[in-house]
Amino acid sequence: MAQVVLKDLVKTYGSVYAAKDVSLTVNDGEFVALVGPSGCGKTTTLNLVAGLIPITSGDIVIGDRIVNDLDPKDRDIAMVFQNYALYPQKTVFQNLAFPLMMRKLPKDEIDRKVREAAKVLDITHLLERKPRELSGGQQQRVALGRALVRDPAVFLMDEPLSNLDAKLRVQMRSEIKRFHQDLNATIIYVTHDQLEAVTMADKMAVMNGGLLQQYDTPANVFANPVNMFVASFVGSPAMSLVPLELSSSNGQSALTSAEGWSLPLSERNARKVAGASSNKVVLGARHSTINLHKTQMPGTVPARVYTVEPTGDITFVQAFLAGAIVNISLPPSVVVAPDEQVWLEFDQDRIHLFDGQTEMALRAD
Amino acid sequence: MSSVEKQAIFRDVPGFVPKRPSFGQKIWRSRADYLYVAPAILVMLVVIAYPIYYTIELSFFNTPASLSLADKQFNGIDNYVTILTSPVFWKVTWQTIVWTVLSTFFAFLLGLGAALALHREFVGRALLRGLLLIPWVISAVAASYVWKWLYHSDFGAIGAALVQLGITDRPINFIDNSTSALYSLIVVNVWKEFSFAMIMLMAGLQTVPDSLLRAAQVDGANPWQRFWHVTFPHLSGVSTVTILLLVVQNFNSFIIPFIMTGGGPVGSTQIWITHIYELAFLRQRWGVGAAYAVLLFIIMMTLGYFYVRALTRGDESRAGA
Repeated sequence: MAQVVLKDLVKTYGSVYAAKDVSLTVNDGEFVALVGPSGCGKTTTLNLVAGLIPITSGDIVIGDRIVNDLDPKDRDIAMVFQNYALYPQKTVFQNLAFPLMMRKLPKDEIDRKVREAAKVLDITHLLERKPRELSGGQQQRVALGRALVRDPAVFLMDEPLSNLDAKLRVQMRSEIKRFHQDLNATIIYVTHDQLEAVTMADKMAVMNGGLLQQYDTPANVFANPVNMFVASFVGSPAMSLVPLELSSSNGQSALTSAEGWSLPLSERNARKVAGASSNKVVLGARHSTINLHKTQMPGTVPARVYTVEPTGDITFVQAFLAGAIVNISLPPSVVVAPDEQVWLEFDQDRIHLFDGQTEMALRAD
Repeated sequence: MSSVEKQAIFRDVPGFVPKRPSFGQKIWRSRADYLYVAPAILVMLVVIAYPIYYTIELSFFNTPASLSLADKQFNGIDNYVTILTSPVFWKVTWQTIVWTVLSTFFAFLLGLGAALALHREFVGRALLRGLLLIPWVISAVAASYVWKWLYHSDFGAIGAALVQLGITDRPINFIDNSTSALYSLIVVNVWKEFSFAMIMLMAGLQTVPDSLLRAAQVDGANPWQRFWHVTFPHLSGVSTVTILLLVVQNFNSFIIPFIMTGGGPVGSTQIWITHIYELAFLRQRWGVGAAYAVLLFIIMMTLGYFYVRALTRGDESRAGA
């Protein structure tokens, strides 16, 4: 296994940047998820690391080698594809043996390695079958096996779970996590599903528009999103973002809405908004940090219920607040109806404040 | 209450055995469907079924060398015996096999090469693709006359070019020479047909999943290995269909040999269809010609069976994937 370093990686198509100045370090044995919406540059970045597309500028280091100009086969990587990319005319055994055959390994060694990998992934009984005779989960395991036999320095995985049904996805998620732990493998994993990234990865790299937005542990990304994009992308339901105006009276800072209400800020939050580039500030709050009241209380702001989604143990409520939609989670015992007038209370220690102009998080220091 | 309604009501009653509709009932229920296809069926009966029946009937008769078919005499399987014992039959059959196999093989090979070349991105690709389609879209009759002149032993452009380049001393006798005529015609046929294989295979190439090629690349396969292990197996379905269609088409070739050589010189370019045409329409041996046609029909139906099987097998593997 080896570490992977991306230095100012750039990929352009004409004047379009598919990846722009992406720099990050994947430590030996680390599981890193590249996450972001469609077209954010995550798959491009993965293909650059794999060598399937040439880089425009920057450096890729795998282990202690700069691999910029090496062919994929010489980079000591293995790749797992979204649709598994198993060779349909070959049996499972031949699929697993293929990368070893291309390396011209002796026949008995190929046989031994294939059987070893098959044993690890519990697919020994499938070795003589063709891919189309396998279920989605089994195909996925064979695809993992084909990567595993090579004993690569780095595993690259391109949305390997997105073709599976919901139940199998959860199961394979834990299997891949187990695979990572058992092998202590260095894995770069692309997904558009932030939940996969949060649950599986040691670190997640959130990308948007070809730019790396934030690279940190899932817990840190969740707790301290650097900008509004990361805030709204990570977490389900998404963080609610309410654009408000900054005002102050008698030395007390507050956020005011066009509807007329205002939310006084704590001393620490007041220090944060002092750094804003204008008086436009966006209030961010996760669903679990907002309290819903049926009557007006001190420090609450008025909202109107839009939809109510009971899920069993939690009821999700969407409400209109100052023209924005706010997600709130409630215990099922609290009953609210659409169009009901409610009052929301924000936890000053857990709200997020963003600069309305730059969309960057406002910090206290 | 209609029987259908009755069956619907009693369906859940224990011991009730629904009555199976009779053949007549089934047809009557689908009468609208049969009405819709009736015109097509009628036309096919008149222009396909009846001629087939009549050809089969005729193949058992001795026909006088006049146009009066009323004088035909039943002669059992004599026509078939005549054909199978005639040395001409074996010669024509061998020539047909050479013609079909070589034409199919080279048309497919050239088509595959062209398809692979055109599958890459390069400047002028669309233009080249258009140009390579020309042989297929132009009239076979016109092409045959053009090639006849190109091959001409006195005024042919090919012969002149070869002499000019110093490759030969004098123009080659391409189609007036019984040893080279068949092969010269095969060249024309391949030229005329390879675009068809090219189009089919280009369509096939577009369905090769990119991720498979990328996987093979990561697995360490070089371009040739990627072709051999990924692309070529993926093309097997479309290749089977293309080859079968080419075989059928070549077995049934008529225009090129008929126009360019008329089967000559000394029958050296005679293939089944031209031979049947000659027997029936030039020598008025209707019975023998019909028997030949029946044999050809049997061969064609056999190929047709494999064609349909290749097509439907493709469906199954796609559905299973």
